[in-house]
Amino acid sequence: MKIDEFMTTRIASIDADLSAYDAIEKMVDRRIRSLLVKFKGTDSDHGVITARDIVFKVLAKGIDPTDIKVSSIAAKPIVCVNRDVTLAEASALMEKSHIARVFVCEGEKIVGVVSLLDIMTASLIMRARGEHVS
Amino acid sequence: MFLKKIFDYGKKEEQVIENIKKHLELLCNACDLFHSAMEENDKNLVGEVVDSERKGDSIRREIIANIYAGAFLPYLRPDLCRFAEIVDRVFDFLQETALNYLEVKLPEHIRDECVRVAFLNARMCEILLISFEAMLNGEDLREKALAIRIYEKRIDDMEFSIIRDLRQIPVDDFWQGRLLADFVSGITSISDAMEDAGDHLQIINVSMKS
Repeated sequence: MKIDEFMTTRIASIDADLSAYDAIEKMVDRRIRSLLVKFKGTDSDHGVITARDIVFKVLAKGIDPTDIKVSSIAAKPIVCVNRDVTLAEASALMEKSHIARVFVCEGEKIVGVVSLLDIMTASLIMRARGEHVS
Repeated sequence: MFLKKIFDYGKKEEQVIENIKKHLELLCNACDLFHSAMEENDKNLVGEVVDSERKGDSIRREIIANIYAGAFLPYLRPDLCRFAEIVDRVFDFLQETALNYLEVKLPEHIRDECVRVAFLNARMCEILLISFEAMLNGEDLREKALAIRIYEKRIDDMEFSIIRDLRQIPVDDFWQGRLLADFVSGITSISDAMEDAGDHLQIINVSMKS
């Protein structure tokens, strides 16, 4: 199974100049764990911010989230894969890079994102189809 | 076959089973056609979806007629009829959505999401067919039922985000807005009905074993 079947195509994003507080608000409101951080330039210049970044780099350190910009805690560059990569290849890359999501790109354009949960979900579908799950 | 082991598996039963399988295969083909119609923006394919619905109707009638003519033990008959009717409901949603597609003006970003929903509907239908075949072989349907629920949940999530975007789109008149709303509601209802069909298959499976 290719990852484009299980990628999320609606990627929530936030402007790099906004505050960590804005990011928290958006994540809580949409019940998501990461946001694409939009820096000026092309899609490949963007970064990503996760709930983990906010908790460890801001809240746990007692920093007021309104005082810190998303750009200063976002991870850059994003890790991209091709849309015809298999789930096994994507999960191997996640393990190697110690990340919980990879972006799916077509050239310079981001077309989706695949998280660990998406990979687990896809593995259940593959079992139901009687396909090999590695 | 599992059913053969449990029941006196006669010609009528065989015909019902064959027709249910044909019904589901036709549905999967219609879902694929609709996905292609959307992906390639080929509105001619909509006609084929409508034809499939018509063929589906006649298969459903044949299934029910055979069941009423005495196929299967009486306690199983209502559930089998109900299953055929739910599959028919999926055909109806699909046809209605395909016909709305001929008229609707979809903004590009909404269109992309709807193409994805159509693709997931087709994949979900494949699982429904796999479930039916697994039931005939007496297999446990737990994994298949979960897969159907996963697809449904995914489409549900997409529906919420599509509707959120839909609210921002200015519409020229009432009918344009209604068509857009009906189209989105229809394309996402297909998976709801397919989930019902999957649930019903589980019920049939359990009652056959008890």
